[in-house]
Amino acid sequence: MNKYSFSSYVLIGRGDACILILWLHPTFNYFLLYDGSKVKEEGDPTRAGICYFYPEETPLEQQELLCGQLAGVSRCVAELSTSPVRLLRLRRSKFAVRMREQFLWALSSSVDVPDVSICEFLDQLISLFCFYNGPVRQSYQLHSRADLSAHWAKYLSHLQGGSTELHHIFSCLQTIDATKIDPLLLLKAALILQACQRCPLVLAGCILYRGRIVSTQMPPSLTLKVMVHETETYNQEHRPPANERSTFSTGGQSSTMTTPVFLNPSEVQALHSAGELCCFFSTSRSHCSPQPDPRARKSRLLSRTLSDTPFSEQDLTNSSPSASCQTMPCSHRSSLSDESCFSPSPGSSQDSAHFAATHQSEDSSHADSESHDYKLSNGITLSEVNGDSKEAVFGDKEETMIKTIIGSVEEGNSLTNGHHLTLEDEKDQNHEDHERHLHRPVKEERLDVGRRVLGDSPEKMWREENRTCGEEIDSELLPMVLYEHRVRALVLALLVEPQFPTDRTAPEEVYHSSLASLNGLEVHLRTSSSGAPGPPGPYSFAHYDCIQNTLTTNLSGRLPGPQDRSFVRATALLHSHFSHTYSAQEAIIRSAGAAVYGTRSAAQETFFLQHAATARNSGIPNPLDSAFALPNKARHRLLKHGVNLL
Amino acid sequence: MASKSSLLKVILLGDGGVGKSSLMNRYVTNKFDTHLFHTIGVEFLNKDVEVDGHMVTLQIWDTAGQERFRSLRTPFYRGSDCCLLTFSVDDSQSFLNLGNWRKEFIYYADVKEPETFPFVVLGNKLDVTERQVSTEEAQQWCQENGNYSYYETSAKDATNVASAFEEAVRRVLAMEDRAEHLIPTDTVNLHRKPRSNTTCC
Repeated sequence: MNKYSFSSYVLIGRGDACILILWLHPTFNYFLLYDGSKVKEEGDPTRAGICYFYPEETPLEQQELLCGQLAGVSRCVAELSTSPVRLLRLRRSKFAVRMREQFLWALSSSVDVPDVSICEFLDQLISLFCFYNGPVRQSYQLHSRADLSAHWAKYLSHLQGGSTELHHIFSCLQTIDATKIDPLLLLKAALILQACQRCPLVLAGCILYRGRIVSTQMPPSLTLKVMVHETETYNQEHRPPANERSTFSTGGQSSTMTTPVFLNPSEVQALHSAGELCCFFSTSRSHCSPQPDPRARKSRLLSRTLSDTPFSEQDLTNSSPSASCQTMPCSHRSSLSDESCFSPSPGSSQDSAHFAATHQSEDSSHADSESHDYKLSNGITLSEVNGDSKEAVFGDKEETMIKTIIGSVEEGNSLTNGHHLTLEDEKDQNHEDHERHLHRPVKEERLDVGRRVLGDSPEKMWREENRTCGEEIDSELLPMVLYEHRVRALVLALLVEPQFPTDRTAPEEVYHSSLASLNGLEVHLRTSSSGAPGPPGPYSFAHYDCIQNTLTTNLSGRLPGPQDRSFVRATALLHSHFSHTYSAQEAIIRSAGAAVYGTRSAAQETFFLQHAATARNSGIPNPLDSAFALPNKARHRLLKHGVNLL
Repeated sequence: MASKSSLLKVILLGDGGVGKSSLMNRYVTNKFDTHLFHTIGVEFLNKDVEVDGHMVTLQIWDTAGQERFRSLRTPFYRGSDCCLLTFSVDDSQSFLNLGNWRKEFIYYADVKEPETFPFVVLGNKLDVTERQVSTEEAQQWCQENGNYSYYETSAKDATNVASAFEEAVRRVLAMEDRAEHLIPTDTVNLHRKPRSNTTCC
């Protein structure tokens, strides 16, 4: 296994300059999909079960060895603990594992990658595959292994490429640099999306420029899926044309195409309910049926245009976040104290919808074992993860000398027990939520979603654990269509109902209603993206927005120095630590050369390093230690980046 | 005659809400949408048209009328071949502002000869019954300010929209014809002057 654990240099093009980024870890060592149903008898060769193995050039014997061992170990642990395996840790690498039906997925990376990141990557890979190909079992019945292997390879390279290591740590979305463009252009993008939703067959959309998000109406997980195809087609168009898809109207630089995709019921529900949360007035929820009456939706959506309301300066600043569920890369909205960003956020609404969805399915299938399953699966995962945290944070002797946790930190048993209790409470609350969910008006719902997100972290963790757990990903995927309209480097991507492409008027309506605005937005973005970045300042920071899954940092624009490497490494450790230790709010992690301050809330995580501030580090606790000034410095420095830690 | 197809940039300017976007949409897609948003910055659409045997691709630039969008729209004035000054016949203030729009355009588009630049004036919303600006007033303004063509249009019921844009094309083509006649004589002068100077001394 050591053979593949290497550090590598990757060149990333950014604007005009090419920047050398040092990768402290190999991204993925191994990825495999193993179908246990193909290997039942003693005589069945292991290779019959290997659907996909990365790196593809690995000798077959080695592939078989790894698959056989992993499948065996995972099965054994799962049966002993009566809960699915999430993570297997070895001395030098670790495997994120997913088992579903007879399938086993495993993704391996070095131990430097935070557990939470590698698990997230694996979930993303699987959900990407399902999004574009449908249920896994069915895909392997319909298509050849070779074809599907090409797809896995594509998703793997997409997740590994193009972004900085910080993006990998948070596995977050790439957004355009909002500091370089007029905020009005973000509003313009949001309005284009809103105008498209006037067509009842359009669920939600996003606008991407050069592979980065300008505006999105979708939950982060869905936006990520859509972006894969966008990047792929963008690359295709920059190569000589190879294969034409269902392109139906081409004029100069502008073209549209449609691609079949698959959404899981909770995603569809989230899109429908997000649409309703966008309403200015409360209506009764209609998203319980997966296919709402188009006429009913139309009348509602038509009334949701800004031109119907007086267009004041206040609209400009308020309408986008609250009215249209936009994920705009303006970090200034996601401050600690800004409650408005929580209520109608796509992430939270998705989660709330998801709650209802999981609960429903659980109720119907195996109501008795339900709470038992949850408790066990989470309990096990938690204790596993706890062990990791100690090893990752405390056991690293190379750089970490002292670690100070300022916030309250629960440890060991108390944490585990506490978590169990909260989960029990959570179950009950879920049920109540679900009941209310169906009957109450939207306004109340919004408040409640806000409270949930602000609420205690175990709950959030619980949701994250279950969000992409995948029990229901495969169960009943709903076919949808991804509609893309490209104007040079700008893409309007819409998730539309399956009948959209064959509808008599809808494609033309959407095309014509957005073409002029897209043309305009494209020239605006093309002419405004040339601004030179300001001086980076004597500090590094990374601000992660957990709700929108976006990252703001001043790191990517310059050559990484030794302090930047420490910063990235410390950020990975702190992020990992925060993900295990729910009640920790602030932490400082330091080596002999640098101290990094991290702070988090339910909505964000912020990491800060002051350059050249090691003078007063005496090695023993000292009230004059400059590290203790970090929280204050972070608060002041980051204000001008729109990050409010006050 | 229809030998070359050229791209003509035509820009619509005027107060917010006079119907610039609607005029563009009516002309290019023959649709009228009562639920349009305020335009932010600029937008444009292309349309291939044949005017008097000339094939041209008309690139129609629609701009934001609101003052707060000024910094977004003005960089795109440059390179325009024709400017359509638009007002609404039911809004006298939008008519009074035509002069300001003309000034703003000449300044930001860096027009070298404002006297000869092709402007066309459009009085939109002809379908509205309560007019505030009479045809005579508008025509008088056009005559006094450079003998511009004046069209009364309705994007809602498609009155005169096509003819207004076609007039814009004619104006540009006429300008180009004139320029083609003028250019040769100018260049001859420039090249010959130095030589005549030396013989003189």
